[in-house]
Amino acid sequence: MSNYLDSLENESIFIIREAYSRTKNLGLLWSMGKDSTVLLHLVRKAFLGNVPIPLVHIDTSYKIPEMIEWRDRYTKEHSLRLIVGANKEALADGMHPSRGRLTCCGALKTQALLDTIKEHKIQALLVGIRRDEEGSRGKERVASPRPESGTWTYKEQPAEIWHYYNMHVPETVHLRVHPLLQWTEMDVWEYIRREKLDIMPLYFAKDGRRYRSLGCSPCTGTIDSSATTLDQIIEELRSTNTTERAGRAQDKVDTYAMQKLRSGGYM
Amino acid sequence: MAQTAEAQLNKVVVVGHVDHGKSTLLGRILLACGKVPEDRIAHVEKICQDRSVQFEPAFLFDALQEEQEQGISIDTTRVNFEYEGHRFILIDAPGHLEFLKNMTSGASEADLGILVVDCNQGVRSQTERHLKILSMLGVRSVIVALNKVDQINYDQSIFEQLCESTRKIIEQQDIACEEIVPICALAGDNIVTASANLEWYVGKPLLPTLICVAQKIALIEKEVTPFRMVLQDVYRFSSSERFFAGRVESGTIRVGQDIFFSPSGKVSRVESIEKFGQPECQSASASESVALRLSEQIFVERGEVISLVDNAPEVDNEFRARLAWLSLAPFNPDQDYLLKIGTAESACKVELLKDGDDAAAQPESGSLSNGAFAEAIIRATRQVAFDRATTGGVIDNFVICSTFETVAAGVVDNRPVHTKRSLKVNPNLRRERGYVERKRFEELNGHRGTVLWMTGLSGAGKSSLAKELEAALFERSCRVVVLDGDNLRFGLCADLGFSADERSENIRRIAHSARMFLDTGFIVVSACISPFARDRELAREIVGADDFNEIFVFCPLEECQRRDPKGLYSKASSGQIKAVTGFDSPYQSPQRPALRLDSSKMTVSQEVSMIISLLEEKQVLENAKAEADQYLIKDKFTLSAHSDG
Repeated sequence: MSNYLDSLENESIFIIREAYSRTKNLGLLWSMGKDSTVLLHLVRKAFLGNVPIPLVHIDTSYKIPEMIEWRDRYTKEHSLRLIVGANKEALADGMHPSRGRLTCCGALKTQALLDTIKEHKIQALLVGIRRDEEGSRGKERVASPRPESGTWTYKEQPAEIWHYYNMHVPETVHLRVHPLLQWTEMDVWEYIRREKLDIMPLYFAKDGRRYRSLGCSPCTGTIDSSATTLDQIIEELRSTNTTERAGRAQDKVDTYAMQKLRSGGYM
Repeated sequence: MAQTAEAQLNKVVVVGHVDHGKSTLLGRILLACGKVPEDRIAHVEKICQDRSVQFEPAFLFDALQEEQEQGISIDTTRVNFEYEGHRFILIDAPGHLEFLKNMTSGASEADLGILVVDCNQGVRSQTERHLKILSMLGVRSVIVALNKVDQINYDQSIFEQLCESTRKIIEQQDIACEEIVPICALAGDNIVTASANLEWYVGKPLLPTLICVAQKIALIEKEVTPFRMVLQDVYRFSSSERFFAGRVESGTIRVGQDIFFSPSGKVSRVESIEKFGQPECQSASASESVALRLSEQIFVERGEVISLVDNAPEVDNEFRARLAWLSLAPFNPDQDYLLKIGTAESACKVELLKDGDDAAAQPESGSLSNGAFAEAIIRATRQVAFDRATTGGVIDNFVICSTFETVAAGVVDNRPVHTKRSLKVNPNLRRERGYVERKRFEELNGHRGTVLWMTGLSGAGKSSLAKELEAALFERSCRVVVLDGDNLRFGLCADLGFSADERSENIRRIAHSARMFLDTGFIVVSACISPFARDRELAREIVGADDFNEIFVFCPLEECQRRDPKGLYSKASSGQIKAVTGFDSPYQSPQRPALRLDSSKMTVSQEVSMIISLLEEKQVLENAKAEADQYLIKDKFTLSAHSDG
């Protein structure tokens, strides 16, 4: 009876409810991008219209300006609790992708995230990553434990059998919980269309170009596109032959760039 | 309606021994379907160039640096793929023993397996272990890909020998071997289109085979399973209203139905089914995440299993199980572990019943090491709800954790744990045997003895049926005795109440009574609610399985409540009495009764003739005098059908 989007939705809601029930101080890592906005919608569904957890945004100060405007409008409109984290020291020190893209990501994203988790005593964080984004994310668990250093011990991940996610972790360890792991880029867009979600305008083409994936302005490129509606984006994705993160410069610094970033605690 | 790709989603796990080519096959399938983005292929091409190796499709899956350097899969991954309108999730499972927990993590969600076997090597240790894991996880169908067929020079006779041995190993694990396909994963031979090198092979290539098998599985009608929902949480947001949130694991629930919580034993009624954005939701079915609003505010917490009151799971603090040990830390019989079943958790001890059947994986007997299988009794400190085949529900899998680690996965065994209920017999006692054997009593009686064990809700019509049956059998000159549950509570069982333990004791006494009559060749008709599956199983054991005929006298709960021949339901609803089956005490419907009679649709005489047919079928009445008019007592037969209805 249920179609594929329904089964993905049900599974994600189950995971979100498990995390809310089994952990203290759950947060939602929100980049205002399509995935974490779908995740936010699923949180709302899981809790029957409520968002009982704070949103966490890691601000690198290099985000595309429209993203920050959209963030502030959206949180105000929906009365959402927002925690903004930033690595102020590194920023004061002039951290910039020109010092090395991986160094910059490590300082402004990973370190800022770890500091925010510690400061707000967040025990678990819902993160909207998907297996089909890139190889190392393909290996993730739904519930991934991270020590204070944020290290992802990808060679020694816990068993995750049936729906028995490991949510018991020591005090110093936090959990990354991934309710969208099994979704594809196409699923996300079809779901946005079905649920009529309010989505960042940067995804729609302007003057023949649009963002397929959103990040920091120095490291995120646009693609050629004439897609100005959800239908057109979905149509475009059906015929595309490149990966979603092709426009992300940090992925290409090195063959295993994302693995290296992520094993250090990147999202 | 046209079937959509969504409706046919299959999760397919690829298993097999180390280096038999699982990841290569997966990579090849993806490439063959043309769904891999160009830049991802270019990425893998560059890696292979840098390493001066041939293009390796496995790298599309084994994306970790360590995996590519060592040419192994460390962890499981899943990839969506679409072929001819079918959407699949392919699950890669590592072959090394030390990564068995990763393999199990991936395979636990699969509904179909592809077993990769290297033609040069045949079935190896991990091939068998993976099959055992699949069997335990409930994967019932496997397609075999006999890989590297180029290395046996596409030889048909070697292929056929391999087929035979592989098929045997698979079927030993109670898994259907659907098809066996010869392939060469590295070259992409016989994956999508027929191979020129395999002219003698008459079957389909691998992907078309996969579609056929997936369609076949979809056609197998899922047995109607009883309603089960696991309670994840109880929400109270702004209002004082409580929302009972969880996932429907099987069956369907509708607004207005009475529901039963296990293990707490609480009851309530579904006021509404809440799904945000979907007002007026009237029902919820398997895999739906919902929240229930109840008409009666009760206090229950996460961990409960919600069912209908007349089809409830078992509740106990111990059960038998089959389990697989998945930790590098060895099993310790003295350790306190954590049991997770449904959404319930309890501290537990694990008692091994016998050594795992896998000698290689366990150096010492009585211990378990990574990858070993065992039978065990799980003894929890709290009561938990679970299903076995006797209750038909789906809450039958669990995991065992040590502090922060999942160390074992298991499935509840069909056989109950009897230790608690089987009483200790004084060792100085000796059985005295009579001179007359049962067979001679039966010769004297002119028919064989048997036990007709009726079970059903109060008001379903067991006693009425028993009385009619007694008369009908008497008419045929049969020696028959009715053990009526209520009547026995006037004497033999007068000291017993209606708690679960007392109900068990009641059944034990009735079963032993039945056994005594059986031993003198009687046809025994037992008519008592006998609500718990495990008690009926115990009765079956006491009587002997060959002579135990479970007759499910079914009647919808609403109809039983309407009939209410003894006024029990109305007394229960006004709070005068407690522990009424079907009201605040659960009933577990028989899953495979010898006979199921629906008393809301049949007359008593129809029911009697169905039971007589059963007795004839079982040759119980073979020598009974069918025409025994002289014994007929006509006025006994004017009883109306269901005087209580």
